[in-house]
Amino acid sequence: MGIKFKRVDFKYQGFDEKGYLALSNINLSIKPTGEFITLIGETGSGKSTLVQHMNALLTPSSGEVDILGAIINQESIKKKKIRLNPIRQKVGLVFQFPEYQLFEETVLKDIIFGPKNYGVSEQEATKRAKEIINIVGLNESYLSRSPFNLSGGEKKRVSIAGILAMDPDILILDEPTSGLDPVGRDELLKVFFDIHEKLNKTVIIITHDMNTVYHYAKRVLVMRDSYLVYDGDPVDLFTKKNIEHWNLDTPDLLKLTYEIEDHLKKPFKIRPRTQAQLLEMLKEVEA
Amino acid sequence: MNSIEIKDVSFQYQSNTPVLQDINLTIKKGEWVTILGHNGSGKSTLSKLIIGLLKAKTGQILVNGIELNPETVQDIRQKVGIVFQNPDNQFVGVTVRDDIAFGLENLQVPREDMVERIEKYAKKVNMSDFLNKEPHALSGGQKQRVAIAGILAMNTDIIIFDEATSMLDPKGRNMVLDTMKQLRSEGKTIITITHTMKEALLSDRIVVLKQGRILKVGNSKDILKDKETLEKSNLEMLLPLRILYDLEQTNYSNERIKNLLWELSLSV
Repeated sequence: MGIKFKRVDFKYQGFDEKGYLALSNINLSIKPTGEFITLIGETGSGKSTLVQHMNALLTPSSGEVDILGAIINQESIKKKKIRLNPIRQKVGLVFQFPEYQLFEETVLKDIIFGPKNYGVSEQEATKRAKEIINIVGLNESYLSRSPFNLSGGEKKRVSIAGILAMDPDILILDEPTSGLDPVGRDELLKVFFDIHEKLNKTVIIITHDMNTVYHYAKRVLVMRDSYLVYDGDPVDLFTKKNIEHWNLDTPDLLKLTYEIEDHLKKPFKIRPRTQAQLLEMLKEVEA
Repeated sequence: MNSIEIKDVSFQYQSNTPVLQDINLTIKKGEWVTILGHNGSGKSTLSKLIIGLLKAKTGQILVNGIELNPETVQDIRQKVGIVFQNPDNQFVGVTVRDDIAFGLENLQVPREDMVERIEKYAKKVNMSDFLNKEPHALSGGQKQRVAIAGILAMNTDIIIFDEATSMLDPKGRNMVLDTMKQLRSEGKTIITITHTMKEALLSDRIVVLKQGRILKVGNSKDILKDKETLEKSNLEMLLPLRILYDLEQTNYSNERIKNLLWELSLSV
């Protein structure tokens, strides 16, 4: 179970006949629970296209995606063999700029729209909304407000609450923290990490923020020019791979670690993953 | 000469609480100013007021000495280019080429000059190979690079980057930062709205907003180490400084490390 890509290609059709290959020969396996994955790579490398295959918003041009047991390929979609609703409920996808998808009169109505659509009663959905509004760092007073008078960051939280209210097994977020101030960003990342850790869900985050990857990810996927070029440990990625070639950047903490090592002319025994770890290591440096 | 003068400006949406209050700010020609602030602090509203997308409730805004009002707004928009955070809201052309051409057509740039400018700025943002592509074949970050090319091609005196780099990958962000530096050397007035101190440090001056008011204005290097002001507005100091401050809380005495952290924070 989980999500499995088998030799997936995807081509966007354009004015010119040859189209545009956004995914090339993707093979990938994601567990249905317990993963915390970041997906990175330069703009246009295929990240958003890849995640849109994970809840069957897009169908592979060739190859197939197995989503929690449902096989998505050209044939199964054409023959309408697949019920898409359960897939969309189990694999929640939050788009880039989700705040532009808010449309209801109140925050409450926006949050319960999704669950009601998937057969949850209004009463139950409202109960969930009251819990979830706190999880995303707002409070119940927001539920009666109009989503249109909220700030960008607040709107973003409301739209994420709408997806969480559907209680997905797998949560995918496409650049969820871009445009948030540092405090808002850290709060929201903590929300995602808690959802992963406390509820044992699989969370997948697309980001350009290398610091997020380095601090939180247990597994990192790198896309480059429609190919999946790396699937593994974040520390190995940043310390052993030619990341410049993939247009990635070194996380601030690692950059600072290198600069201090350079100055001390001596490498640390282990590379710190958090600010607190580096702080402790600096305390042990002899004057 | 002053590029932008904002005098006693307040703004609110309908009957709600004020979004901006008592804003006074003068930006000189050729100056690079960063506006920092938490989400909802009024940063983007301020940029929309400057280009006349929103109308101030009270107060006055002057651009190149001309008061912004319904009669002057069209002329003023030809002096001020703005790149927004979300490229989907600013892509107007059927192809990348059309999109970059759009602003130039409004400026009635002659055709030959237009072709030249489109190619020059597409190259600058590394999108030359995409000129005949339609928007749906582009990623969010690529659309953003096209939006930036479109604004640069208009060659306006003043350019506002409203969180324009938040969608970009590290390479794209560095490219835009280099472009900003070049614009400064050409004498353009630049306003950047951002959440990152790294970007803010490149500018001459920083304005920190909090809940619709100016909390502090200062030289960028002074604001950089002003932990209290930054924290009040949900911002964070650069990593080496955060570590330096934390070490100082613990009576840390290794001066060598402390000096190093201080130097590193300035060299960003």
